[in-house]
Amino acid sequence: MSAANNPLNQKLEPVSWNFNLLSQNNLGGFGGMGEGIAIQLAKDGRRIAWLAHESAPKNFTGVDVSDPRNPKVIVQTELPNMQMRSNSLDLSGDILAVAYQTQKTGMKPAGLELFDVSVPEEPRSISFFDCSGPHSRGVHQLWFCDGEYVHMAAGAPDFNPSHPNDDQFYRCIDVRDPSKPKEVGRWWMPGTSATDNIAPPPRHPLDKGYRAHNTNVYPQRPDRLYLCYIDGGMFVMDIKDKANPKVISHWTNSPPYTGFMHTAVPLFDRNLMLVTDESTEDNALDWPKLIWMLDARDEQHLVAISTCPLPPVDAYKDRGGRFGAHNIHENVPVPSSFQSDQIVFGTFFNGGLRAYDISNAYQPKEIAAFVPPAPNGSKIGSIQLNDVYVDENQIVYTVDRFSGGLYILECDF
Amino acid sequence: MSGVCGCCYNPNMNSPFPSPTAGPFGRRLKRARGAKVPVTVLTGFLGAGKTTLLKRFLESPEGAGTAVVINEFGETGIDDALVRGSADETLLIGNGCLCCIARTDLQETLRGLLVERERGELPDFKRVVIETSGLADPSPILQTFSTDRALGDAFYLELVLTVADAATGLKTLEWSSEARKQAILADRIIVSKSDIADAEPLRARLRALNTSAEIIEAVNGAVDPKSLTEPGDGQRNPFVAEAEHSDGIASFVLTFDAPILWTVWLRAMDTLMAMRGGDLLRVKGFLAVDGCTGPVVVQFVQHLAHPPVELRDWPDDNRQSRVVFITRGVNEKAVRGLFKAVAALN
Repeated sequence: MSAANNPLNQKLEPVSWNFNLLSQNNLGGFGGMGEGIAIQLAKDGRRIAWLAHESAPKNFTGVDVSDPRNPKVIVQTELPNMQMRSNSLDLSGDILAVAYQTQKTGMKPAGLELFDVSVPEEPRSISFFDCSGPHSRGVHQLWFCDGEYVHMAAGAPDFNPSHPNDDQFYRCIDVRDPSKPKEVGRWWMPGTSATDNIAPPPRHPLDKGYRAHNTNVYPQRPDRLYLCYIDGGMFVMDIKDKANPKVISHWTNSPPYTGFMHTAVPLFDRNLMLVTDESTEDNALDWPKLIWMLDARDEQHLVAISTCPLPPVDAYKDRGGRFGAHNIHENVPVPSSFQSDQIVFGTFFNGGLRAYDISNAYQPKEIAAFVPPAPNGSKIGSIQLNDVYVDENQIVYTVDRFSGGLYILECDF
Repeated sequence: MSGVCGCCYNPNMNSPFPSPTAGPFGRRLKRARGAKVPVTVLTGFLGAGKTTLLKRFLESPEGAGTAVVINEFGETGIDDALVRGSADETLLIGNGCLCCIARTDLQETLRGLLVERERGELPDFKRVVIETSGLADPSPILQTFSTDRALGDAFYLELVLTVADAATGLKTLEWSSEARKQAILADRIIVSKSDIADAEPLRARLRALNTSAEIIEAVNGAVDPKSLTEPGDGQRNPFVAEAEHSDGIASFVLTFDAPILWTVWLRAMDTLMAMRGGDLLRVKGFLAVDGCTGPVVVQFVQHLAHPPVELRDWPDDNRQSRVVFITRGVNEKAVRGLFKAVAALN
């Protein structure tokens, strides 16, 4: 019997176990949020959450979360037009990096903008790095933690993909002088540039593109890039020479799975790696989208050993919108980020927020769940939790993709 | 790590992926139950007011999302008319709460709850309250969570709560050994009907039977709802005198000032369980284990040991090991002697 048919659960009760909701803020009615959350420990002692929006008209929002039970929007910025989005952001110190992606190739502005947010209420633009071009939609995602380099999934004016869906690749931007960002390295999956002399990769049935997505680099291994490439799987890259990134290994689950590899997070001390898919199809048509656990003892030979168990698809597929894995807390190497190699936090769209105990890497175990009711203004009738960030005090920040804005929770496990 | 035996429950042992931030007993937990579903076992004398108490609790905000399991059909339930009017075993009772009747087997009922929650067929529940029939011996229920591996992995017995009424409780304690056992095994005792009878004689008798349980009073089921959810803190009190009861049941608190070697604890308890396991009605407490930063929670019910867990923090400034023993015919002196002998041989 499905959840929807069971007379005991016709209301599809919200789920909340081992998470306590402290507050929700719909961000002034602009609560459709993307996949960028950063926490600033401001010099005046406040804690500011910087949030990326899923789509125009808003650019980014700053929320004072010093009191997590009473978050206050302190600034909300506008995009210059409605044909673009700033889905991703990251913060190092007081410098905020924001990704601009346009709806179509050839549009502007498409690129990377750096802001000085030392006065959080008054973000001040430092520079803009243009990535627009006849075949570029700009920047989809970026990683900026060390104050020196922005690692990002971006198009470029001079890049001509072999397939229009493959326009974004890995680019490393030196921002040590934040007023003058400059590219120091780039890499694309062989076959995805029209100039490559090998055949383009075969298209997947859903064809989400052979494009870079998350571009994670950690201080434990500054010479390694953990690069997810959507339909191209995941690459461990040697970036010791930033100008010449080299492939160390490649891992993919698709086919037989349906592509869209999203994020790779190494757990260095345990020789493990987490890799996530992103669900992109409504009603779980691309089920199962998972968080994968890889044995990374030998980085050249990665072995999938388990997945974090999904909630039952029958209970969620008809609730509206997407169901399945997306973002996880990435142990972002900044002081305001929770670091753990034993607990994984992930968002699953209408499957909500989930936490897993991975003490036993072969048997991840769900230890907490939060599936709130559909937020006001939801156009699909269900929650779509999109991204998650956990701060150093284990306060959890998660956002809805369409209207719910920011949910702040404490862990109860 | 020194002092930690390889046969304990350490996920880092025999793993290619040990975590340097884990303790000898795995991930350090915020509290003993970790992420398991907390279970309150509600026992009480016949007519003591268990159901009134439970109804009040379910109507409170704290009671939302409770699954009530009535462990014997025929007992006056949470909503008798509703129970009898339905062919189903599981019923919605409002406030996001569920009611199940364990007609045959408590374990089966609890497993069913888990499976149906997993499938999304039941609303989410955050805790389980097991309402026992009037004069049931709670021991088998305590054992359930130790013997059934699947249940023990999902549920955690957080609290044994016993309701005794001021009007007739004293007499019940005299004639019923089950009632005495309910009082002795309780983490918390609620004295009901103190508005119609003097509660003091009953309190004194209960205190003699159970020196570590918190005893509170309820009028018409009115108690702080947290009384049904907050774990008992009896084991935090190290100053409990040894008590000998009429049924040969004794309770005492074993304390150690210095951190104990895990091997010593394990060997001594192995011996005790092998020789007198059936007489260890309940053993529960905090240990300061050599090599651990937080307290290690240990629990035993007769021959069965719960996996130990290390907490992140001590609950107070006291760093002494303190473990409450409730035994039948096993006295403190013998247990202390055993620990001393094992320590000397280590």
